[in-house]
Amino acid sequence: MENSVYENLPEISDKSAKTRKAVSLAVYIAAGVILSLIFLFPIIFMLATSTKSESAYAASAGRITMFLPDFANLGEAAKNYGNVFTDYGIWRYALNSLTYAAIAIVLNVLINGLAGYVMAKMDFPGKSFLSFMIIFLIVVPVETSIIPLYSIVKIMLGLKEGASVIGVILPAAISIFNIFLFSQFFESIPQEYEEAARIDGANTLVVFFRIILPLSKPIVATVAVFCFIGVWNDYIWPSMILPYNQEGEWPLYPIQAALTTIQSIQGITTGEIMASLIVTSIPIFIIYVLAQKYIVQGFGTAGLKM
Amino acid sequence: MTGSALIIAAVFIAIFVAFAVYDVLIAKKRSHKKYKTGTAVTAYLMLLPAVVLAFLFILLPILYSLGYAFTDYYLLQPNSISFIGFDNFKQVFEELAKGGTIYHALINTAIFVVGVVPLQIGLALGLALFVNKPFKGSKIFKVCFFAPVVISLSVTSFLWLQILSPSETGLLNSLLGVFGVAPHDWLRDPVTAMPCIIVLSAWQGCGYQMLIFLSGLSNIQKSLYEAAALDGAGAWHKFTAVTWPGLRSTFVYILITVFIGACRILTQPMLMTGYQNHTVTLSYYMYQQGYTYRWVGYSSAVALLMTIVIGTITLIQRRAFREKN
Amino acid sequence: MKKFFNRLLILALTGAMALTVASCGGGKTNDDNSAGEVDPTTGSTIVKVMFHVDVKSTEGQAYKKRIEAFNAAYKDRNIKASATYKARSAGAAGYETELLNNQVSGTLADIITFDAPNTASYAKSELLYDISSLVPDDVKNDFFSLNTYNGDLYGLPIQESSAGFYYNKKIFRELGIDVSGYTVDSPWTFDQFKDVCAKLKAGNVTPVDMRIDATKDEMATYLLYPFIYAAGGEFTSPDGYTATGYFNSDKTADGFKFIKSLIDAGYTSYSIGATDFFDGRVGMYLSSGWTIPDLDNKYKAVFASRDDWGLLPYPKSVTAASATGSWSLGITNNHHTDKSAAKELLLWLISTESSEAITTATGMIPARKSVNTNYAEGSPEYTLLKQLETTGRERPVTVAYPTFTTCFNQVIAALGTGDVNSLLNTQADTLQSEMNRLKR
Repeated sequence: MENSVYENLPEISDKSAKTRKAVSLAVYIAAGVILSLIFLFPIIFMLATSTKSESAYAASAGRITMFLPDFANLGEAAKNYGNVFTDYGIWRYALNSLTYAAIAIVLNVLINGLAGYVMAKMDFPGKSFLSFMIIFLIVVPVETSIIPLYSIVKIMLGLKEGASVIGVILPAAISIFNIFLFSQFFESIPQEYEEAARIDGANTLVVFFRIILPLSKPIVATVAVFCFIGVWNDYIWPSMILPYNQEGEWPLYPIQAALTTIQSIQGITTGEIMASLIVTSIPIFIIYVLAQKYIVQGFGTAGLKM
Repeated sequence: MTGSALIIAAVFIAIFVAFAVYDVLIAKKRSHKKYKTGTAVTAYLMLLPAVVLAFLFILLPILYSLGYAFTDYYLLQPNSISFIGFDNFKQVFEELAKGGTIYHALINTAIFVVGVVPLQIGLALGLALFVNKPFKGSKIFKVCFFAPVVISLSVTSFLWLQILSPSETGLLNSLLGVFGVAPHDWLRDPVTAMPCIIVLSAWQGCGYQMLIFLSGLSNIQKSLYEAAALDGAGAWHKFTAVTWPGLRSTFVYILITVFIGACRILTQPMLMTGYQNHTVTLSYYMYQQGYTYRWVGYSSAVALLMTIVIGTITLIQRRAFREKN
Repeated sequence: MKKFFNRLLILALTGAMALTVASCGGGKTNDDNSAGEVDPTTGSTIVKVMFHVDVKSTEGQAYKKRIEAFNAAYKDRNIKASATYKARSAGAAGYETELLNNQVSGTLADIITFDAPNTASYAKSELLYDISSLVPDDVKNDFFSLNTYNGDLYGLPIQESSAGFYYNKKIFRELGIDVSGYTVDSPWTFDQFKDVCAKLKAGNVTPVDMRIDATKDEMATYLLYPFIYAAGGEFTSPDGYTATGYFNSDKTADGFKFIKSLIDAGYTSYSIGATDFFDGRVGMYLSSGWTIPDLDNKYKAVFASRDDWGLLPYPKSVTAASATGSWSLGITNNHHTDKSAAKELLLWLISTESSEAITTATGMIPARKSVNTNYAEGSPEYTLLKQLETTGRERPVTVAYPTFTTCFNQVIAALGTGDVNSLLNTQADTLQSEMNRLKR
């Protein structure tokens, strides 16, 4: 097992042990690089294709060259990336997505966090029913069609064109799993913190915002990252619910809905599609890299006891 | 629709009140604890936004979908839905007995679940152990392994199609050709199609579970390893004595979520092979019946049966593997 | 034990909640006898139309111009057209889902576009309005194909498409293969088709991409069904409710056997890459008219000009048949019961003038015979137009059309290894039981 690389190495300043350590480190890095390639090949392909014209792409399809950029003709890459921003104006849709994601994250943390706090720390009649419902909805996955959800949002909220953004954000703001995650995390926070605050006369909301949330950065980060990825990648629901304007444009579309719509336009090349996918994947990667430490902590502390 | 939603809301509130009263009575009887009115009111107020949203956007669509199972809802006639009792369920079992497409769907789903659950969890655990090192570079690996989780399924499926392409110049075939293996039509051959879909699904998904295993590993105290090392334990013994027991609750969570996800596999067979008897799965069958063939009622009946079966199995898994406390 | 009982109770109650739903189905919007909403500022009647393409596409731009022209021309008659463009992007059923969602919420447009094979099910479900009496006979007779169900007219095509065999002239010249005599008026036969394949194969070129791997959607069906008609076969009875005895008849089997013989002889295979023809690795490529602009513009390295490629018609056997069918316009059965304003817009959009304007932009074949096309004899467009005029056969008209496509695809996908007759028998059974289910 690879485990043996670091653990179980007695502190011997023997030369042969040092070489052994260096060799096993080299083996470890080599294995890691090969594994990384296995998991990264779609990105390599996307990067390579985003530098190609349509005929260069056709010539490479199905061959190993599809993973290599078209070095001979790098002007094509500039053209592909340029078109993504000028002809298709995707920055506007990216801004929409960022706005929706930001609002959804705030609502998500507030609404599910409050509910999780109640489930973790407070006692009230009917709690047995609600905790059963939470586990039930997580454990028993119900296959649902999107049609009733559409009818509910359209009819109940009576959405007019401008307000339809609410129909995109609100369903993203509630998540049973996040309630579960929050409550598991809050349970691990020692009671003493709260009691100290209560003696000072703080009410429940103050305790939640002043004591609990600041102690819960890892779980807030976890929920925020997955909420962001969810909102950023969703396209079916927004493209159902958001209207086209009189000019037949879709100014309110989030990024992925806009991209899938753009892809249906005749004349967009494979290279341009890949360039747009690369550009729109970058935010997810940045956020993931920044937050991964918290995600591990968040899941770790919550314990995920089902 | 508004009317029926109000009825459901009333039923929901009634059930909740019934349980609340039951809770109060039990508490009185045992008299260990007493509910404080102030706390309860605060709790209800804080729960209110979550409950309202969950009711509207989660519970209500679920109940409508399940309700359709007892109707003749045909997608093109949404304004003439009538109640037909258990006819849809009868038809499901007739199809099953006849050995129709749903029979293949059931078998294929079972094969997929049996194949992908151990593979994906094993891969995730292996990767987690691999990157869980005090070496700086392992952070980069951690990001790389997670990459397939965030890349759009259509791009990865397209690539796998190129890799598994039946032509001699297909990437896998040309690689095997070096060793003298004849080209093979991986996805059209009923024997190899499902294993291919299993491998690519595990590849796509395992990065996420790796992250959760890592969080489980971070919870294991270092002192346990040190103690085991003092006892002279080897790597394997450390794994069975310290790592694995420490990962137990993480494992149960991952088992349940991967199992549920596997039961609902839809996109991969749809993009890789299309609707074919040797790769159709239950969710794909439901999609085809509900959207393409427009039998929403029938499709909902399949969904309801699936929910019951999957739910029962997960509850059993949860009981069997949960830590006894 | 008590806990378990509790949980059972909850399950039962949740089930009861689900049941209450069924009795209270969707609400229906009330009919009104107006011809459409009224614009509050100008007082004109608004006719709503929904297109299946994005407005920024060339096709969308063409529609937009025609709508603007309509609004200018009908300003005095107080009718105003308002168009929405919903690209078919979100999955296979994206556009249809949008249609049905609109129907549920009572916001269905007055005029919609729809794919021709949906005519039967939309007509039967009363989504579409019977326009037989609204369209003058001389207009009807001017179309290459009409969208009818049970003898009534439900839609008119916007533009037409047909398909054929694109071939790489460079390869044909090098191998000395002469196909100049094969035109729509004197088509090649199945045997001559095979001869050409044999020569290509002898020249170490993959002979033909028959698209038999395109069985995930409508593509394989659309391109290959004419072979079955050409062999004298049928798919369904004329009313669209019987498949047994049609889908698995001997003549139908002959058509599929011809395709299978091409696979067996190594003339085509499932493993031809999607771009192999465009990269000059394949001799012939079966595709629709939308490949013309791609060949003209996108693959300059292999196809510099029209001297490098050409288009051959479908081969014939017992008879000649070619693919037809594209998207059509129809009036919906929505809550506006007065269809007079919708009729004006429909007739405008399918007029000879519109047909010409739209097809000039898209490069597709006009749906109306009276459009002056000026295609040079022997050009690819000319071949497609000629096919539409003389050998075009539409796909089977049946309410079970989605199942028909699945069955057809399953036969094609298994053709390489399976026995044609047993494949057809199995799929005929499946199709027949779906038809029985829909008859109820």
